[in-house]
Amino acid sequence: MKLRGRAVSPGHATGSALVSGKPLSFLGGVSLDTGVISDPGSDVLGESVAGRVLAFPHGKGSTVGSYVLYGLVKRGIGPVGIVNAHAEGIVAAGAILAGVPLVDSIDVSVLMKGDIVTVDGDRGSIALPRVSETRVATAFVRNRGRILVLRRARTAPTFPGLWSGVSGVIERNERPIRRARTEVREETGIRNIRFRATGPIVYVRHEHSVIAVSPILFDAPSRRVELNWENEEVRWVTPSDLARLETVPRLREAFDAVSRAR
Amino acid sequence: MRLTPRQRQLRARGTPAEKTAMRLLVALGEIYGAERLIRITSAHVAGASYKIIGDPGLEFIEDFARTAKVRVLTTVNPIGMDLDRWQEQGIPEAFAAKQKRIAHAYLAMGVRPSFTCTPYIAGNRPKFGDHIAWAESSAACFANSVLGARTNREGGPSALAAAVVGATPNHGLHQDENRRATHLVDVEHAVRGTGFSLLGLLVGREVGGGIPYFRGIAGTESDLKWLSASLASTGECAMFHVERLTPEWRGARPRGLPHIRVTDANLESVRREFTTGEKADIIGLGSPQLSADELRGIAVLMDKWRPRVPVYVFASREARDSAQEAAATIERHGGHVFVDTCLEVTLLEHVSKTVATPSGKGAVYLPTLCGQRVVLEDIEKLFQRYA
Repeated sequence: MKLRGRAVSPGHATGSALVSGKPLSFLGGVSLDTGVISDPGSDVLGESVAGRVLAFPHGKGSTVGSYVLYGLVKRGIGPVGIVNAHAEGIVAAGAILAGVPLVDSIDVSVLMKGDIVTVDGDRGSIALPRVSETRVATAFVRNRGRILVLRRARTAPTFPGLWSGVSGVIERNERPIRRARTEVREETGIRNIRFRATGPIVYVRHEHSVIAVSPILFDAPSRRVELNWENEEVRWVTPSDLARLETVPRLREAFDAVSRAR
Repeated sequence: MRLTPRQRQLRARGTPAEKTAMRLLVALGEIYGAERLIRITSAHVAGASYKIIGDPGLEFIEDFARTAKVRVLTTVNPIGMDLDRWQEQGIPEAFAAKQKRIAHAYLAMGVRPSFTCTPYIAGNRPKFGDHIAWAESSAACFANSVLGARTNREGGPSALAAAVVGATPNHGLHQDENRRATHLVDVEHAVRGTGFSLLGLLVGREVGGGIPYFRGIAGTESDLKWLSASLASTGECAMFHVERLTPEWRGARPRGLPHIRVTDANLESVRREFTTGEKADIIGLGSPQLSADELRGIAVLMDKWRPRVPVYVFASREARDSAQEAAATIERHGGHVFVDTCLEVTLLEHVSKTVATPSGKGAVYLPTLCGQRVVLEDIEKLFQRYA
């Protein structure tokens, strides 16, 4: 699969991913002798950045970090590419000085350690040749301030027994809104829903594939639901209830994404 | 981002360093939403002490200097030692050798040989409204606030890139709308001396990257230097206004902003909080470097009190040379006046575990950069206490 981001530092590189969920300081955070992460607070402490595609949300700490990145690359123990959620000045400067391709505006939680990642710092995208992408439409059906959630059947092939919006896999060449309408009709029996908004894609990493969720918001005229075999329980909840339910991954983020959309 | 034909040419056919500089400015411009680069009249570069930037910094500066020349008046921050008197300072040979290579590389690029954190009193003084690219957070804050020049808080590489290209991304404090106040600060008691440092430490933490508007203070340019340095140490602050004093206070629009009240008691508690040691083994004066007038003031105090502990004074070459008599007086009483370097970026760790200083910036960085404890106190009280 391929993810679009923003080109920050030019160049092209492929490597095995090292992924951290925490901000990284190169000064004091990566050893200049070995290229190994030495920050005791890091979630990848002891891992080497050498030859890898290093993914982390953003940089932090001293501006001398730019030079440390330069020094690592010069010694041949630096990362070959960098992926950030949002690049800030220290890492961006270091990557450019060192000639390491850097792409940002990527949700790094999509990546897993060991993924083969190609960073295209000219076009601003990354490619994951061994990871497949499944496109899913998730409908958030709203009635008087409450959102419809369904509990997936225990026999469901993915995420059994968890709460979800009304979801279905998008078929080739199908528009997400059309898929969402079809799923609402089949899984809930609700008719006459009105389209309100579609939000930016939210990515969920699931084993060797990535689920790309298109969140779509509808208003429903009533709360009467007729479940089919795919789900076993129904609730109308407030948005803040979403955080308290045991849901499929990132359901709350998907809802927030569509509620912010215009 | 829109580039001029000359900038496009530099990116495509410049030297390796010029290409890197252009790439860096364009990337940072895009990150911060700038639409173009704006021409600058001066640059001030940070990252010159070997103690701070180490081998990777040395390698980068040397590599870059091979194909880089600055296009505008450019000064550079203090290095790790006095170039003439490093042996007297107790600097190891290996450190000195590498430090000289860094200094040499900067000079080879055409950077002025004044290693200073107060460029505005050392031959690089921008005019009101000038666009500049300055690293060194205290100097950037001073230039915006006191001189009315315009700079963001640059990092070492971005200021160097701007110096080589002669331009910087046009965003942030280069634009009128981002120079207005964000916080109103009422100072309820008269502030003098180290009070400006304490005020900066306190308010910098409150406003973060904002722009405070002070009411109720008045001071000299030197007082505002200490305020700038402290504000920029505890926060990302790069500009402030002082009512009826700084050049842009009329356009600052402080009405309806979040309000901070500061009393003597607040400042005293900040002083205690940043005082991490009890008995100092040296008095350290600098951070930022002292002006000629300040050197003369120290000379008077040395004459009067003759402290028992060694006094280390840091100034720019320019300041020391225009106050030679004062410098001689200080040294006659056993003090040391060093130039080219400053309080935290030089090596004092081998002579001192606890430093007494009136500098708020020193109080922030001595513990982290040098592993030293600090006694933060007004300068006259320090001399009395250690007499």
